Amino acid sequence: MKKIFALVVIILFSVFSIYPVLYVLTVSLRTDQAFQANQLNFFGDNTGFQNFTRLITETDFLIWFRNSVLVSGTSTILGVTMAATAAYALSRYSFKAKRWILFSLLTTQMFPATMLMLPFFIILAKLQLINSFMGLFIIYASTALPFCIWQMKAYYDTLPIDLEEAALLDGCSKWQVFYKIILPISSPALVITGLFSFMAAWSEYMIAAIVLQDPALYTLPLGLKSFQASLATQWGLYAAAALIVSIPVVLLFFMLSRYLISGLTVGSVKG
Amino acid sequence: MIFQMKKIIYLLIFSFSFSFAKESPTKPVQIQIWHQMIYSHREVLARAITTFENSNPGVKIRATYRETEELRSAFQSAAMGGSGPHLIYGPSDQVGPFAAMGLISPLENELPTEFWNQFDSLAVPVYQDHRYIVGDTVGNHLMLIYNRKIVKNPPATIAELIAQAKQYTIDSDKDSKINQWGLVFNFTEPFFFVPWINAFGEGFLKNQIEPNLNTTATQAAFTFIQDLKIKHKVIPPECDYEMANSLFKEGRAAFIINGDWSWGDYKEAKIDFGIAPLPQNEVTKLWPAPLVGTKGYSLNANITDSEEKKITLKVLQFLTSEQVQTLFLAEVGTLPSNLNLRSQAGVKNNAQLTASAQVMLYGQAMPMVPEVRAVWDSLRKHYQAVLGGQELPVTASEAAQLDAIKQISNMNNVTQPGLQAKLISGLLIVILILLSFFLLRRFPEFIRALRAQPLYWAMLLPSLLIIFLIVVYPFFYNILISISNFGLRTFKDWQIIGLQNYVEVFSDFQFYSVLLKTIIWTVTNVATHVAIGLALAIFIDQLLPFKGLWRVLLIIPWAIPQYITALTWRGLFNQEYGPINHFLQTWFQLPAVQWLSQPFTTFFACFITNVWLGFPFMMVVALGGLQSIPQSLYEAAKIDGANEWQRFKLITWPLLLPVMIPAALLGFIWTFNNLNVVWLVSNSGEPADQTHILVSYVYKSAFNLYRYGYAAALSLIIFILLMAYGFWFVHKKSLKEKTSI
Repeated sequence: MKKIFALVVIILFSVFSIYPVLYVLTVSLRTDQAFQANQLNFFGDNTGFQNFTRLITETDFLIWFRNSVLVSGTSTILGVTMAATAAYALSRYSFKAKRWILFSLLTTQMFPATMLMLPFFIILAKLQLINSFMGLFIIYASTALPFCIWQMKAYYDTLPIDLEEAALLDGCSKWQVFYKIILPISSPALVITGLFSFMAAWSEYMIAAIVLQDPALYTLPLGLKSFQASLATQWGLYAAAALIVSIPVVLLFFMLSRYLISGLTVGSVKG
Repeated sequence: MIFQMKKIIYLLIFSFSFSFAKESPTKPVQIQIWHQMIYSHREVLARAITTFENSNPGVKIRATYRETEELRSAFQSAAMGGSGPHLIYGPSDQVGPFAAMGLISPLENELPTEFWNQFDSLAVPVYQDHRYIVGDTVGNHLMLIYNRKIVKNPPATIAELIAQAKQYTIDSDKDSKINQWGLVFNFTEPFFFVPWINAFGEGFLKNQIEPNLNTTATQAAFTFIQDLKIKHKVIPPECDYEMANSLFKEGRAAFIINGDWSWGDYKEAKIDFGIAPLPQNEVTKLWPAPLVGTKGYSLNANITDSEEKKITLKVLQFLTSEQVQTLFLAEVGTLPSNLNLRSQAGVKNNAQLTASAQVMLYGQAMPMVPEVRAVWDSLRKHYQAVLGGQELPVTASEAAQLDAIKQISNMNNVTQPGLQAKLISGLLIVILILLSFFLLRRFPEFIRALRAQPLYWAMLLPSLLIIFLIVVYPFFYNILISISNFGLRTFKDWQIIGLQNYVEVFSDFQFYSVLLKTIIWTVTNVATHVAIGLALAIFIDQLLPFKGLWRVLLIIPWAIPQYITALTWRGLFNQEYGPINHFLQTWFQLPAVQWLSQPFTTFFACFITNVWLGFPFMMVVALGGLQSIPQSLYEAAKIDGANEWQRFKLITWPLLLPVMIPAALLGFIWTFNNLNVVWLVSNSGEPADQTHILVSYVYKSAFNLYRYGYAAALSLIIFILLMAYGFWFVHKKSLKEKTSI
């Protein structure tokens, strides 16, 4: 009885979570570039895969895709490396300003992002990083950093300190302890942190729009937006692209869902 | 002094910055153009550019597309940072703001008289004695477009329009859902509304600049649209641009009111359409006056190098030349601005262009002054309130007028620095000195710590430095702006003025009502996220088979970019064709809800969207927490005879709390600051600006109304509120014991 109830609830919520995606799918299959669909209609008169083929053959979709992979991948590696090390220091080393640093990391999440656009632009212009991936690497890695550090620190905090003490007694250096012992057993948290940074970079639009001005450097969200004109959006192309954009992330989630559960312990239990 | 302070801060920040090798001078000159041409036009532009590049080997042109609003804000940021494209292409109404900010250069002395003489005067408008734009096309105006399959003779008068629209509004299967509409258009948007005001008397502006909304004409026009919706029932009660367009493209609407830009779209959808003027008011004998403007190129004021400027002007002349206009005419059928071309066969024999040129005769020139934005904005607010039934036409026209005047004065009012400014900047300098003094005193201690634990510091410092650069610097920059008079009229020479912006925020009643809405919004959202996430996690973890399957299905909303889902949900909530109403009607026999035109239901729609986006995160966090609870605890409890509820209350809940609380705190911050959902689902605060939360309110005042100083003050207030909340939350004793924050 309980199980049936649970099953019904779960099925309802699964429908709830999938339906909008199916809706996007029908829009992508329509050939008239319109957005409103009467109902979920997969096999109407004007449905077909034209939008998908047009996307690949007529637009720069593949270039955007490559750029996005490059930008998100690099910022993720950069961000995770920095977060993993900084968080370890914050977890194992206690010093006066530590509480203060931790709290200010949290506060960086509190500032309305839209107001950061103009200063971002000015910094990047002064550093001559406009129109280069380097600018994006730095911004993406650093805006994701506070959350990643928090996340990693919470995970390190759950690891028993005895392990490291034993290794130190065996003659390992501190760096060796971190690199050879702590890092490998932290892989669930590393994977999750990476996934977060990747997702944030993958779908980020506003910063990319001010940094990248050359269409050859466009990332996917920028490319997608170019189908959108204020009164003449190419909805079919937009929806088709949106689905393809979502696939890698869904796949990543799918492959990593094992880690997802064990790695995500936002500020978990003490000791 | 203030300028110096800015400089000092820059120096502080950039003293450790690094510079890159300059580009070598032998590279070809690159001219950048930012434009907002729609999809089909971009291809023509690309061809024109190739032609130019082939005959001018030393020059490369790079054209970048930006959506209209995007183009505006991106150009503003870029030009402020001292760079930006050489040329910017857009509608003439952006000329006023750009000229006021000093971002574009006057062109009249840069180009010869013969050049200017070849254009229709509409294409080269004069703004405050200068010419800032050269248009390659004229029009951009609304007209009545009809489906020839349905309509034989277009109406000449408003009465005829209503009669025909009634005739063509058909519910063929008698299910009380209309299958074909008489008239569709984006009627909630002022741009589609103001032409009608002229048909009932005077126009919406006086002398091209002052708002003229408190008139009987405005009131009559309000009533006219309301009647179309409620009395005659010939337009869909909820109809945004996308919906109107879809209906017409599917052949399910007899008439649509739309602009010349939409023709290509309808051709592609194989609709046989005709064009007519918006019909005359048979009582007043007046015609609706659609706004007629131009689209064209303007020169970035940052281009000062004479060689660069010469080439840029050459490109500009080429792109507006007869040759290129001929190409556009042939490929996408735009009405050329070149007079010579206008008299040639290509235009004269084109039925659509002649009809469209006919419609233009009734039009009014698109105003260019920046103040118009304030007029649009206040009109939108009160007009939508009339449509939603919250205001009467008489009171709304008066209120719209007062609002417009107030907003214009906010926009143009420049507070000059006084004594307070000196005090505040003095105070800032003192704080900076004290801070550096404090840091310097701590420096030896820091060095000692560094010596003691070099590894830890090496691990920590790179992150701290980069966060400082990217996150902390903008923060201080914002503090400066928030005490300055940075706005439309002071774009390039803003000064510190003191706390006026803060005073203004706190003395505005709307701030408190938006704050209240934001708090309600955040609390209900986070509570729902946590409740659903927790319930699903427990069901999946403890009761069901195929755990992996459910997990993946339920995580999907999290994995899809937010801006896509927000727009999708807007479609789902559509009154007429959205699946949600369809579902309510067929399964529960409920009447269709106008979700997106009432403040409360719009808020509810945003809420559902955000629940959809937010519950997977909480679910995953809860699943993680559940896994760390040892199974043995449950077994022990079972032996002790604890029932299901007791086991939840005594084991699951307390052990999950430490995981859920920080997640809830983060969720709280994210939801509080989530611009995407509210902005996109409610179409930037519609109806009538009643669905704002604080961040969307900030966004609007900064980018729509050019009030940067005010917006910065508001965002600092948001920040301080959240920080205080976070501080209180983290320091609550009971929580401190349970979590490690």
